[in-house]
Order: sequence, then C-alpha cells, then structure tokens
Amino acid sequence: MNTQKIIETKDLTKTYRRFQKKEGLRGSIQGLIKREYEEKTAVNSVSLTVSEGEFVGLIGPNGAGKTTLIKMLTGIIAPTGGSIDVLGYYPNDLKNAFKKQYAVVMGQKSQLFMELTVNDTLRLFKEIYEIPEADYRDSREYFAELFGVKDLMNVQVRTLSLGERMKMELIVALLHSPRVLFLDEPTIGLDAVASKQIRKFLKEINHDRGTTILLTSHYMEDIRTLCDRTVVINHGSKIYDGGTEELFGRYQRNKRITAVFDRPPYRREVEVPKEQVNDALHELMQYEPKDITIAEDEIGVVVERIYREGEQQNA
Amino acid sequence: MRKYREIARTYLKTQLAWRADVLFNMVFTVGRILFAYLLWKVIFAEKDTIGGFTFHGMLSYYIISSFFTQLEMSHGISEEMAARIRNGTFSKYIVIPVNVEGYFAAMESGVVLFYLFFDFAAAFIWIFLFGIEFTLVKDGMIIACALAMVLLGMFFMVQLNFFLGILTFKYEEINTFLMIKNNLIALVTGSIVPLALFPDTIVSFMRFLPFYYVTYLPSMLLTGKCAGEAVRGIIVISCWCIVMQAAIRIAWKRYVRRFDGVGI
Repeated sequence: MNTQKIIETKDLTKTYRRFQKKEGLRGSIQGLIKREYEEKTAVNSVSLTVSEGEFVGLIGPNGAGKTTLIKMLTGIIAPTGGSIDVLGYYPNDLKNAFKKQYAVVMGQKSQLFMELTVNDTLRLFKEIYEIPEADYRDSREYFAELFGVKDLMNVQVRTLSLGERMKMELIVALLHSPRVLFLDEPTIGLDAVASKQIRKFLKEINHDRGTTILLTSHYMEDIRTLCDRTVVINHGSKIYDGGTEELFGRYQRNKRITAVFDRPPYRREVEVPKEQVNDALHELMQYEPKDITIAEDEIGVVVERIYREGEQQNA
Repeated sequence: MRKYREIARTYLKTQLAWRADVLFNMVFTVGRILFAYLLWKVIFAEKDTIGGFTFHGMLSYYIISSFFTQLEMSHGISEEMAARIRNGTFSKYIVIPVNVEGYFAAMESGVVLFYLFFDFAAAFIWIFLFGIEFTLVKDGMIIACALAMVLLGMFFMVQLNFFLGILTFKYEEINTFLMIKNNLIALVTGSIVPLALFPDTIVSFMRFLPFYYVTYLPSMLLTGKCAGEAVRGIIVISCWCIVMQAAIRIAWKRYVRRFDGVGI
C-alpha cells in the first residue's frame, strides 16, 4: 500500500455563531432590536492524518462534528482555527485542480437531476471534469456493470428507488476517478440488502482502484465491514484513532449466552464478561441444556460504551 | 467552455421534461397578448398618438419589449442561491470544478433557449393574428447595437442576481432585496409602460441606471426610436457589467467563507 499522506490536519477547529432567540412574540420583537449569539464549537482541535489507499471510518453520535469535519476537508466550509492540507491544497481555496481530485457523496444531498436520466447527468459530469470520451465510456461501463444498474441508465432518476439512487450518486462521484472519496452516511435509509451491496462496491473500489475513502456512518456494520481504521469523534473532539477491530475488542466486552432446556425454565439468557464465558458454560452444562448459543455484545450497546467511556478517558 | 455548453444543454433538457409546464406557458403567453391588446385598444380609442407612439407603434414596442422581458428570467438565480444557501445544499455547486457564476449563467442560457421558442410563437400570434402593422427599424447597425445591448443587459441581470444570491451568505434572508429589485426592474425596464411617457428629468436619471438598457432601449431602437443613444447605451451597460463583475469578485471572496452548510 502507498503510504503517502494525503490528508493532514492539526488542531483543526470550527466554531459556529448561532442566534439565540428568546421564547414567544416578545422574544421575537427583542430579537429584531438586539440579537444575542452563542458560540458552538463543532470541531475542537482535531489532528488527523490519512494515507493514500486507506479506508477510514469516522463515527460519533449526532452532532459530534463528523459532517463538519468532512465539510472542512472538502472545502465546503472554512475552518476557524488550526491547519489543514488535503492533496496539497487548502480546501477552502476551492481550486478546480483540487476539486478534480476528490468526490463527496452526502446521503441527503444529490448531484442527480431528478427529471433527467442518469446518463444525462453523467454526460454533464464528463464535461465538468473534462474526462476524455474513451475514458468516460470505459468508466461508465465499468461502474454500471459493477453496481448492476445497466438497465437503469436511461430511466428518469425520480422513478428510481432509494438504493438505486445511491448507487447512481456513487457512479457520478466516481466517474472522474477521484483519489479521495468522502462519504457521509451513504447507507442512510437503505434496507439491509442495498446497504450490503453498497458496502461490497465500496470495498472493491478501495481495493481495485486504490481510492482513499473516508466514511461516516451510524451503522457499525458499515464501519466494521469496511474500515481497517476508525476515528471516533464526540462533542467535536477526537476520542479514538486506531484499528477498528482493536476498538471493538476493547469495548465489546461481554458475551450473551442463551441456553435452551427440555424442562422449566426452558430458556435462560445470561450476559457475562468475555473472560468468564468458560465458567458460565461449565455451570450451564450441569443442567443438561438442549442447545446453547453464544453471541457478541449488541452493537448498539458497544457504540454507547465507546462514546461514553471514550469521552471520560479523554476528559 | 464545453462544460458550460453542456450545463446549458442539461437545463434545456430539464425544461423539456415537463409537458404540462410547456402547455401552461403557451396559454399564459397568449393570455398576456390578449390582455395588452385590449388595454391599448381602449387607451387609443380617443387619441391617435400617446407619447409619440401610434397604436401600431405602441403594440410593436410591446411585442418586442414583452419578447425581451420574458426572456429575462435571471431572478431564478438569486432565488435558487438563497434557498440552497439557507438549506445547506449550495455545497453541490461548491464541490464541482466549475466557476459557480459561469454555472448559473449557463443554466440561465439553457432555460432562456427553451422559452425563446414560445416568445417567437407569441410574437408571431401578435403580428399575424391581430393584423398589426409591425414597425421594425431597417438600419442594420441599429439592429446589431440593439441585439448586443440585449445580450449585455441580460448578462448584467445574471450578474445582479448572482450578486444578490451571494448576499445570502451574509444576510441569510434576502427577500427584501429581491422585492426591491423586482419592483425597480418592472418600472425602470419599461416593461409595463414605455419610459417615453415619463417626464424628461426622470428618464434622464434612468439613463444612468443599467435597467434602462436591458429591455427598454433595445425595444425603442428596434421600433425606430432613440437611434442617437445606441452606441452610448452599449458603453454604459458594458461599464455596469464591469462594475458588477468587480462587486461579485469582492463579495464572493469575502462571503463564501461564511457558508456554514447547515440545514440538511
């Protein structure tokens, strides 16, 4: 794997100024005359380095600062403090040479024209990114094949399902072969089958094309399946940056043992620390169970633990 | 340049996607024609000329002026920008390698190309269905000046609306600006009443404003009036375009950094 650093931030900070309106009609009138603002730090001194070819997951609860970080990395918004370098550029300078090297897909923002077909949008993006005709045709064929959407390229976008639309958004984003792909909640609202397909495609793109991918998602399945490395953000600060398996190993502490019996109580469920599983099994076996299953901690519980304990350790 | 041509083509295609819109636009255009015809017929019932216009001269002015006014649809730029900046989706224009002003100008061209067809149809209905003795200047130089002025005027309107859209970064809400602009334009462009009907002092003042050159002067030139103002008009509107471009550069550089992209 190429280890060239392509994203580097140091103490990156973003502070928003928000108008605070007092309650009621009186508050609204007062707001016309004298406005009070509060400052909110969305991203607080985040230092981050990403090397070419990496697949990095960015997780955190709602309002943690993940999307704000992505917006700064893509130049959509300007940082308030710290330094930032993406592909050798200061993103908010909004240079076309920089924009040609990355792509961003935000689950709730679309580049597609709803009234037109995907091929119409792709033709537009071919010209916008100045892609040679032969390369354009090759890429279009490759992605239409990879995503299994060959039959949908000439269908009006607004008639596509959410999952199909997300595949098309990804094709539009990948058409110019970006070096970095920023994905903000790409599987939001998708069913299990569509999410699984998207994950498979992203893995292939990262592996086969060497595209660096930075992914934010609330679905831990996305992060666990795809990202070797995970960055956890809470209240704007980075609380973990390291291996994904290591992260889950650290916080996925318990196992859930379910035993089924022929006689009352028929079924028994216990949650025990990983290191006490043997003892628990030994005890359960004395009651001659008909069946036993052992499962990992529920993902939701693990995530809650990561955010809560990570925050305490960081404090 | 190819990318902007493709943007224009794409927006032209979006206009063609909705057949009901096409039909309603046609009905609306013909309705306007009928209303204006009846109105001026009543006004000219007791007079042969008003402000130097005969009935047919006035209708010729109205046909040309309506043609240009309906083509001038740049208000969509400021509205689109204001809405997208407020709801956070303006980022879709920021992240692609284009000049954002150029993108909106190309988008406007695509929409205008679509309406050009209906405007020609409307002018045709006016002239032939109502039997109007259409007055069109014969001097090729004046026609060229009028067309150049219309193009510059429309470009100026794109610039103005883009500039007002940029102000959303700072003020968040620009509806008041848009309302003032729309009312001023309706009056100063002479699209409601020819400026020739106003007192001389007011018209002299309006000559300093860019709006005078957007539809009014080109329409007057094409109907054989104000020939002496042709060259000066092109110079004035060109100067306004340069001034507005400088204002856009400064405002964009200063205010785009205020975009917080929140909303969605």
